[in-house]
Amino acid sequence: MPTIMHQISDPKIAFAYLRPACVLLTKAPTVTDVETLSAQLKEIDDATLQQLQEYVLFPLRFVLKVPGTKKDKLVQAVAEAMSHVLETTCVQSWETLRDLLSELCLCLCTPTDPGKPAETSEELKSAVLRCLDALLHAAYGDIIFKLFEPIMLPGIGSAISLLLALGEKERSRDVQLAALKCLQALTLQCDCTQEHVVPSSQERGALGSTMASFLPGITMAVSRIITGDLRHGHAVTVRAIKVWYRTVGLVMEDAQLQAGEPCRTAPPDLGRVSQLMVHRSQDWVKSTAGRLSSLLKKIISCSSAHQHWRVRLEMVELGEHLLARCSRSLGECVGLLLEALVGAVNDEEPRVRKRCEVVLREVSQRNQSRSSAQTFTDILSENLHSLATSLPRLMRTSDDQKKLFVLNVFLGYLKVLGSQVSVVLNSAAHLQRISKALMQVLELDVMDVRIVEERSYAATIETSSDSYHSYAARIQRRHFLYFTDEKIFSLLMEICRTLGYYGNIYLLTDHFLDLYQQSSAYRKQAAMVLNEIVRGAAGISVATEAQGLESQVWGKSVTQDDLKVAVVSIMEEYTSLNNWHLITVSEEAERDRQDQQLLSPSSLLSISNSNVGCHTQTNSIQEISSSFGSQSSSPSTSALHQLNSNIWQLCIQLEGIACFAQALGRDFRPLLMTSLYPVLEKAGEETLLVSQAALGSMWDISKACGYPSLKELITENCDYLLNDISLNLQRLSQHPQAPRVLTVMLTHSDCSLLPLIGDIVQDVLMALDLSYQHTAALFCSVLHALLKALARWFPSNSSRTSNSVRPKQNPTHEELFNIRQFMLDHQKEKELAEGIGIEDDLEDLNENPPPLECEDVDDIGGPDVKAELPLHLSVTKDIMERCIHLLSDPSLRLRLKVLDVLELCVCVLSEKENELLPMAHRCWPPLLQRLTADDPLAVLRAFRVLCTLGETCGDFLRRRVSKEVLPKLSSSLLRQALTSAKAGPVYTHTLNYKLQLAVLQGLGSLCQRLSLGDAELDAVCEACLPYLSCRQPIRLQEAAISVFQHLIQVDPDGFWFTLNELHCPSSYIPPHPDLHPIQLSGMGRARDEFSDNALRLLREEFGSAAETEEQPVS
Amino acid sequence: MSRPAPSPIFTLRGAGAPLNTLHFSCHGGDTPLLFSGSGKGAIHMWNLNTRRAETVAEGHSGNSVVWVNTLQGTDTLISQGRDMRVCLWDLSEGRRAVLDSLWTGSVGFCQCSLLEMSTGTHLLAFAGQQTEEIKIVELPSKTPVCTLVPDAKLGMIMCIKLWQPDSGPGPLLLAGYEDGSLLLWDVTQRAQLSQTKAHPEPVMCLTFDPQCLRGVSGSSEKDLCSWRLDGQNNLQLQDSVTLVNPGVSQLCVRGDGKLLASAGWDHRVRIFGWKKLRPLAVLQYHTDLVLSVAFSDHQDPRQRLLAAGSKDQRISLWSIFNEGADTG
Repeated sequence: MPTIMHQISDPKIAFAYLRPACVLLTKAPTVTDVETLSAQLKEIDDATLQQLQEYVLFPLRFVLKVPGTKKDKLVQAVAEAMSHVLETTCVQSWETLRDLLSELCLCLCTPTDPGKPAETSEELKSAVLRCLDALLHAAYGDIIFKLFEPIMLPGIGSAISLLLALGEKERSRDVQLAALKCLQALTLQCDCTQEHVVPSSQERGALGSTMASFLPGITMAVSRIITGDLRHGHAVTVRAIKVWYRTVGLVMEDAQLQAGEPCRTAPPDLGRVSQLMVHRSQDWVKSTAGRLSSLLKKIISCSSAHQHWRVRLEMVELGEHLLARCSRSLGECVGLLLEALVGAVNDEEPRVRKRCEVVLREVSQRNQSRSSAQTFTDILSENLHSLATSLPRLMRTSDDQKKLFVLNVFLGYLKVLGSQVSVVLNSAAHLQRISKALMQVLELDVMDVRIVEERSYAATIETSSDSYHSYAARIQRRHFLYFTDEKIFSLLMEICRTLGYYGNIYLLTDHFLDLYQQSSAYRKQAAMVLNEIVRGAAGISVATEAQGLESQVWGKSVTQDDLKVAVVSIMEEYTSLNNWHLITVSEEAERDRQDQQLLSPSSLLSISNSNVGCHTQTNSIQEISSSFGSQSSSPSTSALHQLNSNIWQLCIQLEGIACFAQALGRDFRPLLMTSLYPVLEKAGEETLLVSQAALGSMWDISKACGYPSLKELITENCDYLLNDISLNLQRLSQHPQAPRVLTVMLTHSDCSLLPLIGDIVQDVLMALDLSYQHTAALFCSVLHALLKALARWFPSNSSRTSNSVRPKQNPTHEELFNIRQFMLDHQKEKELAEGIGIEDDLEDLNENPPPLECEDVDDIGGPDVKAELPLHLSVTKDIMERCIHLLSDPSLRLRLKVLDVLELCVCVLSEKENELLPMAHRCWPPLLQRLTADDPLAVLRAFRVLCTLGETCGDFLRRRVSKEVLPKLSSSLLRQALTSAKAGPVYTHTLNYKLQLAVLQGLGSLCQRLSLGDAELDAVCEACLPYLSCRQPIRLQEAAISVFQHLIQVDPDGFWFTLNELHCPSSYIPPHPDLHPIQLSGMGRARDEFSDNALRLLREEFGSAAETEEQPVS
Repeated sequence: MSRPAPSPIFTLRGAGAPLNTLHFSCHGGDTPLLFSGSGKGAIHMWNLNTRRAETVAEGHSGNSVVWVNTLQGTDTLISQGRDMRVCLWDLSEGRRAVLDSLWTGSVGFCQCSLLEMSTGTHLLAFAGQQTEEIKIVELPSKTPVCTLVPDAKLGMIMCIKLWQPDSGPGPLLLAGYEDGSLLLWDVTQRAQLSQTKAHPEPVMCLTFDPQCLRGVSGSSEKDLCSWRLDGQNNLQLQDSVTLVNPGVSQLCVRGDGKLLASAGWDHRVRIFGWKKLRPLAVLQYHTDLVLSVAFSDHQDPRQRLLAAGSKDQRISLWSIFNEGADTG
């Protein structure tokens, strides 16, 4: 407004303009008069107003001075008018300043007590406070310092206590803020944008000396504001903190105290006032510092974890201000201040963090340049020590927020100490304390049952194509006893890394390895700490943050060689026998599981899966652990939590190896010699958690060492692995895991591995030959894994042929019509089925027993007798040879396993019939035994093998199957049909049912594959017919239908007839009257139990009944 | 013998052929090397730090390599193959090239013997074209020094050992023959100094310790025969050790003269105390004939390894009887 209006600049005109209002005001003051005056005042320009200041202020002050109660409105109007005057002019007269100050204070206080605020309106208070503020800013030149002369002490004192009372008690936030700001202005510590008087050092001394009198009052009241009600919002707290530290900084300033108190002898005329004066002597400083530190403690504890970042930022400022000015006088508070600062180093708000980093850098630089560097470090390390002492207690008792803060402080100390950390850690007491704290805090909760229960079945190990991320995602969360927040864990890990980064790696690894060895209670924690220390020492996940603090002072001191030495020693400890071969499976549980697995339905149903090339589901029985277990202690004593603890320990150690690989990068490659084997050993473990951790570790290692995937990691280092495997195979009783490692190798690599493992396979076979009794179970799993791998690497074409059968499902009409061709084919097949073609083949085989195995591999150097067999085939042959012997092993479990292996052998060998047939011939007798006279479980598997054999060498088996197998199967099917037809729903859970189902599911394709003769087909048909009954369990019906579907493909007409005999929906009229009418026994029969399925088959396999009606019958 | 049998600290595989000969070279450079010669003509240079073959050199056109050695002080490898040639290889600065070769004319299995005369010159003894003939040449000049043929018919030359006695003026040579005889030759005089019949069967291998003037020889039968030279350079038979299984391919005395190792046809390496030929250990790992043994010449005694090469195409490395070292 004033800028727009033309302002009056001539003092005379202004005087004339203002005079009436002023006069009026002195006579009868009313609100309107004051408002008129203040409106007029705004039309006067600044310089003119300065000249008329005294004149204008007089009526206003007169209004205030008139005795008696005044209306609030009036006083407020006066205060506003005065504010305007004071904001635009400056006060040059000391008297004016003094009088105005006291007059304004009087407006605020109760008439009776000058230190107590009156019960006036908020508007009035804020107007007066604004006026007061303006007054203090308007004080010109030196006159302000007169305020701080001893004589003024009572006046200032009452003003201060008034302002404090307003700041503390007032309900309105604005008034509080205004009061605190006034207080700041009064102590010449204002930080607003206006110009301020800059006191000389002498003046500052006088100021501080005067303020010393009020320091207790101010600090206590302000700390009450800070620590009091949180509801008054952050702005008040921030302002209060500012007042606090600025006041303290003024009074306790090192520079002032050092200069020495100028001998201020109180003028004699002061009287009682002199009692108010404070002499800042040594003793006074000391006792004041003591009191301040207790206040500071309260403030810090209240505000450091304040929710609003501005408050935390202000705390950083507080630390900075006081450390910069009063670090000597407030000696005992330095620790507290540092703690506050350090706690903010890891603040979540970047502005706080940034400011804090700057402040800390200044602090540490200041301290390094000064001679007091030692004490500074001492204080820090002292703090660290006491924090480490209380850490476990704090972690047990406080809430997550507090824990985070405490850990942040801990981390902050380490960061501030920087390279000094190694010096601090040289003190045994410190190291001991810190390590114990970490041990206690990181204690794991090992009571979770699920961890032990979870098993990795072979299927999980198999997923070699899985990327790294899927493993990482599956990593199980750890449960700690004392905290749950993941942030706390990562903070703890960062602490460890920082320790590793700054500390002496040898000292740290020695110490923590000691702890690791000392007690099993600390082992897991120590391993966790060691892992992170190594990572930290390598600068992983610490460097970026540390840069901010000490980049110029601190470079990495740990050389790669030091790191390597440390890693080697830790790894040696990790993988030592006692710490690596831990029991993770209780024996009873293991046995239960295996039994369950044997009986699981999924394995039985899979027989129908005729696609032999890819039998993915496996029921690998891991005998290793149950038969050998771990040698150290008996599982009966190992309680659940012990197992749990073992599992975690292994996981942590595996993770550790990954950390070491990360730390060393490519330099880790030579260490693969010793570390890869143990990791793979654990990757084959059946405890899910451990094997996952091991796989994750393998991924990390391969990444760290620069291998693109696990496959390369294994193939490029397979010499190291094979070295250990071959050694350990010779000492199986001590190293039962060797086959497991081989298994893992096989699952994670491709066929390029085969030439390399050739001799190991020979080793395995030799070890097996040496003692079938003890090692068969163990090696069977290796052989199984090997063959599974072979089947994967060299997919046989048998799967292709089996698919090619499918399209023939529906015989086309052309085929049906071509009767002549059909008859010829039929004749041919019949002849074949009767064995005309095979006879001489068989003779041949009986005369020439198949060549002995092992020749192919060992005779490389010898003269060439015959074309060398591809390695995978010769290996398979060797294994199949063993299977023949093992098929009649007394242990059922082993027999089952061997049957699985045998099936895979057949798949792989199917590539070369010349090799397969002799082997099939040799293994036929024991296989027949399994099929006909063994446990139902074995029969099931044997049948599956038979189906596979049927797929691959159909003709070869025909006679054997029809003579030796089919009669038995069909008789048992017939016999069981009666039972199953009558049985209730529980029957589907019996072994007999499963056997029936499996046989029915496999029989069709087997018959088709073998191209059996009519007699055999009839037998099969007869055996299966009862299962078309709708009284049978539904799945058996379906399986029986599938048998017929296959049979119909072999002999459509025969089975059309059979089905029609069973049930014929329509009558057939001959096309010519000369022909006899057709009589089928199924004609006109009432619907019975077989009708539905017979009709379904007729409909699906021969088209609709209407279509068949028209067709001539041959 | 109460402790469990040691196992090799590691094995080297991948040679793909029987390993006829081994030679350590741990002096030069920082990576200790092991050279091996295979039945398929390949010379592998194994880096003992990474435990991998650093290079594979083929120089004898697929014929079996029966002997490898290095010339001290130079990066020169010397190899003898059954293609009747001895090759000199330049190994400096990563080169793997044949510098020179020498035709021997011998079709036998007798390994050469090398002796350093002075810096830069070596004597090389090898079996010659005639059955009983031993030839000695100077390297690298290839100047023939002499040819030694015994007076009596002793059969094929089987093994030779050239050494320089402390006292005598010129180098001496020990040779084992097909009929089981041992002969001591004076190279400079070209004279036969002593002869003894050590074995009823051909002498398969011999080793000699010039410090205590004792040697030991093995044959295809069970006995290891030890003998010594008296002051008059006479060969005197001493006690013999009987092995469990017959047949020894190679014998080797450790540099410090404490251990003797034998490469047995029974797939085992046997360790004896060299002083009294007391059996100390049987090292069992290989699955076929052990063809060669060698002790490392590493400066650090704790890293002195024993290597055994076998027909099963593997080399096993053992750390045994090393003071302070882990015995595996």
